[in-house]
Amino acid sequence: MAAPTRAVAGVASGLSRLVSRSRPRLPIASISVSTPAKTAAASSRWHSGFSSVNPNEVSHFNALAAEWWEPHGSSRLLHLMNPLRHDFIRSCRESSDDPNSVTYLDIGCGGGIFAESAARLATTKHVTAIDPTPSVLNVAKAHARKDPSLAGKLSYLQSSVEQLEVPAEGQGYDVVTLFEVIEHIDDPGAFLERVRPLVKPGGWLVMSTIARTWVSWLTTNLIAEDILRIVPPGTHDWNKYINEGELRGYLAGKGWDSAKVMGVVYVPGFGWREVKGSEKVGNYFFAVRKA
Amino acid sequence: MASNRVLIASPRFICRSCSRQARSSGSYRRSYATASSSQDIYDVVCIGGGPAGLSLLTALRANPTTSRLRVALVEAQDLSKTASLSLPPTQFSNRCSSLTPTTAQFLNTIGAWPHMKRSRIQEFHEMQVWDGVTDARIEFDYQLGSTASPGGVIAYMAENINITSGLLKRINEIGGVDVFASSRVEKITLGEETEDLDLREWPVVHLQGGKSLAARLLVGADGANSPVRSFARIESRGWDYNRHGVVATLELEGDGWGGEYRKTAYQRFLPTGPVAMLPLPGNHATLVWSTTPENASLLKKLSTKDFIALVNSAFRLGPVDLAYMHTQATGQEDEFAWRTQHTHFDAEAIPQLVVGVQEGSIASFPLKFRHADTYIGERVALVGDAAHTVHPLAGQGLNQGQGDIQSLVKTIEYAVAHGQDLGTQMSLESYNSERYAANHVLMGVCDKIHKLYSVESGPLIPLRSLGLKAANALGPLKSFFMEQASGRGLRV
Repeated sequence: MAAPTRAVAGVASGLSRLVSRSRPRLPIASISVSTPAKTAAASSRWHSGFSSVNPNEVSHFNALAAEWWEPHGSSRLLHLMNPLRHDFIRSCRESSDDPNSVTYLDIGCGGGIFAESAARLATTKHVTAIDPTPSVLNVAKAHARKDPSLAGKLSYLQSSVEQLEVPAEGQGYDVVTLFEVIEHIDDPGAFLERVRPLVKPGGWLVMSTIARTWVSWLTTNLIAEDILRIVPPGTHDWNKYINEGELRGYLAGKGWDSAKVMGVVYVPGFGWREVKGSEKVGNYFFAVRKA
Repeated sequence: MASNRVLIASPRFICRSCSRQARSSGSYRRSYATASSSQDIYDVVCIGGGPAGLSLLTALRANPTTSRLRVALVEAQDLSKTASLSLPPTQFSNRCSSLTPTTAQFLNTIGAWPHMKRSRIQEFHEMQVWDGVTDARIEFDYQLGSTASPGGVIAYMAENINITSGLLKRINEIGGVDVFASSRVEKITLGEETEDLDLREWPVVHLQGGKSLAARLLVGADGANSPVRSFARIESRGWDYNRHGVVATLELEGDGWGGEYRKTAYQRFLPTGPVAMLPLPGNHATLVWSTTPENASLLKKLSTKDFIALVNSAFRLGPVDLAYMHTQATGQEDEFAWRTQHTHFDAEAIPQLVVGVQEGSIASFPLKFRHADTYIGERVALVGDAAHTVHPLAGQGLNQGQGDIQSLVKTIEYAVAHGQDLGTQMSLESYNSERYAANHVLMGVCDKIHKLYSVESGPLIPLRSLGLKAANALGPLKSFFMEQASGRGLRV
């Protein structure tokens, strides 16, 4: 049984690395909509209104911000995964009638890995990227200045989802993205309800996350946090990981259709690959179209 | 492609995608103009207008995904002469390359092949390779092989100037390349930070005369002593072979043993290095003779008659005779006439007699082995001779460069299609990993073959002729030559 063992090991090491690379993204974890206490603290510091940013977590990850764009730094796995996000979005939008002036909203943009790349595409009209953490946004803004082609196509906002202006009926973004965000949300169902008005009818909500399986528990919690300590213990709450079926449950009957899923596996030496059925095991992309 | 021409005519200090935005937003141009008034921003700046650099720009412009990129070429020489290619039909340049079917196919795909003068390109269908010490021989003939290429072509011989001329014509046809010819690079620096832009990681190419080009990706197609490589602080390691390659354009007594339509390439391994005669159209052929620097300087000094006699000897006489003839300052013609009477050889297994050499075509250059530590840096990529210099014995130098270009263009295309910044090291990684290993293996094998056949006596000799004879019965050497020559070899 050597081959299967190795295959699992590949998945495992990929997952553990992804999680460790995901650290800078964790401020997004605090976009939570369920705990009123947190909400109160956050809103008094950052903004008014209903939100849930936890200042403790924000400051905890400030120090990691500088590593976002290091090619061999802690975000490497996210950089490598990024092209697959575009392939997935492209496959979702295959039948769109307006392919050449796409507007994006990237929620929890972090240092801007996806936001920058989306803004560079010739088919993109504009990208709005939000994140509640000032230091991470500063990294994103500073990095965007290194590429003259981004000016005018990419806007960063320090904002939570709740603070965004709700578009008028029939308006919204063509593509709203939630990459490595949803697994950190306390009440995903309610959160997704808040996101829905931001998506244009016929537009797509695209996300990526990790399935809650024994493999992901082993790699992201036991190995990454408790044994190797490449992720500070307590960073990930495995219980919040979301299986594809659960996501479908949150979205069912809420005005979405055309659900799509793509499981991806990181194979050391080869990079990220689409593996059919792997959404049941570890990392996967998921998208729904707003009816 | 009219839109591209319009864009080229627009103000040059902003890249194409930015100029599009400038028109829509109106704010960007102003902000950049204050940043630096004399600096142009490009997606790709290529230094070096040889076959590698020109085919990179042609391929980028011909590819629908990359055709929106703003690209520039910097070349020290005047390219207008290259483009015109005004040699008469009976005269051939002494700098020729063998193009594998893979390379020819690539040049065709990017639209350059139809712009090359087909009447000046000669394909060959057979190769004869033999050991000058033992006479062990390998014959290559696609009729016998199972991997026959269409039409049985092993490779195409073409003058480098025909290739560059065809590429330049294709570039002129598509348009959209800012060509800075007759332009010397004064220095390459890193850009500066201004209020709105941070170009501190962008290479800036300063041309003589004050113009400067900022590059999202700077490509060094600038030869073995690549200034781009020095700028990127990438080491190139290797050694000199203490050999020179002597080239010349020859006239033979006929069109070859197989006539006009079935040509053969010949290569004989002498202790001083391989001597090769490769067919050109009609009764012409090109000589590539790797030999010692002393022999090379003698060859260049000889009278035409004696030069011809020594070339004919190189394919016919034994190493001892040849060594002796290299000690004479003159008189090789008589020596050859006398010595051939006492040497037995199969006339049809060697090239036809050389009867003339084109005036001014004899030249030589030192042979080197060089391999850069890496082909990429932040916003830098090296291609062709800037990345690797190989012994010419397998005729792979130009083909390796074209292989680099195909890989680099594929890498850039992927980056553009996925919104990556095409200049960053991370975006370029696949180019480096794909080409470095492939080139490394090929270069190593060429180097080992050179060393193996440079030995005149000792235990290696019987072993290697055994090897060559075994090779003729389909051994590794045979398949190496065959597959390299046709560009199908050693995929790593």
